[in-house]
Amino acid sequence: MTRRVYLDHNASTPVHPEVIEAMLPYFGERFGNPSSIHGFGREAREGLETARERIANFLGVAKDEIVFTSGGTESDNLGVRGVAIEHHAVLRTCETLGGQGFAVTYVPVDEYGTVDPDDVRRAIRPDTILITIMHANSEVGTIEPVEEIGRVAREHGVPFHVDAVQTFGKIPIDVNASGINLLSFSSHKIYGPKGVAGLYIRKGTRMAAIQHGGEHERRRRAGTENVAGIAGFGKAVEIRERDMAAEAIRVTALRDRLSEGIGARVPDVRVNGHPTRRLPGTASLCFRHVESESIVLGLDLKGIGVSAGSACTSGNVEPSYVLVAMGVPLDWAMGAVRCSLGRGTLAEDIDYVIDSVEPLVRKLRAVSPVGTA
Amino acid sequence: MVYSSRLIEHFRNPRNAGMMRNPDATGEGEYDKCGDLARFYLRVRDGRVVDVRFQTYGCGPTIAVASAGSELATGRPLDDLLRLDRDEVEQAVDGLPEERKHAADVVADAIRAAARDYVRRRV
Repeated sequence: MTRRVYLDHNASTPVHPEVIEAMLPYFGERFGNPSSIHGFGREAREGLETARERIANFLGVAKDEIVFTSGGTESDNLGVRGVAIEHHAVLRTCETLGGQGFAVTYVPVDEYGTVDPDDVRRAIRPDTILITIMHANSEVGTIEPVEEIGRVAREHGVPFHVDAVQTFGKIPIDVNASGINLLSFSSHKIYGPKGVAGLYIRKGTRMAAIQHGGEHERRRRAGTENVAGIAGFGKAVEIRERDMAAEAIRVTALRDRLSEGIGARVPDVRVNGHPTRRLPGTASLCFRHVESESIVLGLDLKGIGVSAGSACTSGNVEPSYVLVAMGVPLDWAMGAVRCSLGRGTLAEDIDYVIDSVEPLVRKLRAVSPVGTA
Repeated sequence: MVYSSRLIEHFRNPRNAGMMRNPDATGEGEYDKCGDLARFYLRVRDGRVVDVRFQTYGCGPTIAVASAGSELATGRPLDDLLRLDRDEVEQAVDGLPEERKHAADVVADAIRAAARDYVRRRV
């Protein structure tokens, strides 16, 4: 049987066996609706609140500042749109601003993909209602200076939203030191189930619900909670609390073994992202004069799962906008491949990937008219 | 994305890949929306293609289709290749997913361009 190596943990992770165990009762005897007041409902509610408490403790925040959602995307929507709609309603600016009513300023990144807090400061206008940033970029893994940006936000009294989907449970996050008002985080990136995520909402942050219906989640997110998923999420966080620090060290060493191993054997390769301020398991590599998807397909045939940095959708290949924003030249950016490691990644897996990449890239370059005379 | 086993086989073991010294004709096909590029080299004897080489830059299917296209072109009368249909090229890998149909266009364009180049050189 072909060896199988999964290096796409930034896309999703396998559910931890202990997490599955923690979820099972909520599919069976504790199936109740957590909003019901009878015993069945109370059992489900207990599972929900235990998970909420665990996650709140992990973040060092109050229980009622955590809202459960269906995924990172919904958390981001609730965080960003919720603040925007609230301001919209309060300021009644809809008519004067016209259309959607919002102006968005995009702040540039440097060659590592890092945002300069001074650029954020300069971009703030008197009518700025929100600053939002990804804690770490999912593609190149660069960790943004959220503490400094949070300080800028606080100085100007602007709410600060951070998408921590790629960092939550992988590196420490201090929502208080960083002055974060809203923090999106997800379960399936940290060995929990899909379809569950959370949004931290600092007490006093003014925002509107974007999904209406029942009174769930203290009226901030209508809809019956995914109790089994949330119980699993709580367990996943408990495990991260235990394993995160040691795993970060182990995975960082494997990540460097991968990029250094490939760099030593394959010419014309570059590592993207910040050399040190980077997610432990993320290695984004560009292979010059080779197309991303041909590498992904070639590695897939060897049982290796990585992700393409440039995506070909309906015949249109777009180089990654992240790499373009970082100033990576096109002939490099088109050959971007992301490897994201996780708790199950072994040193043997890394060596197998290095051994597979070298002949594949050599072969692809041999058939390519690009970069040859 | 699901690819045929024939396509995968060509991707794993591309036939006739590489450059040709002093070819009788060359032609290129390009799909500018995604930057895929195929270059074909032909050796022609008595109006028939006796040897083909190709180089390709692109996603896996483009490499595989170029390999299959090189087999398709070998031994064919040059006149045939002037009218080579992209569907015939696509069939040589048992079809392509909707999002990768362009691979057959790039390769068919390159082969037809090489055939035209041969005619041009003879005039």
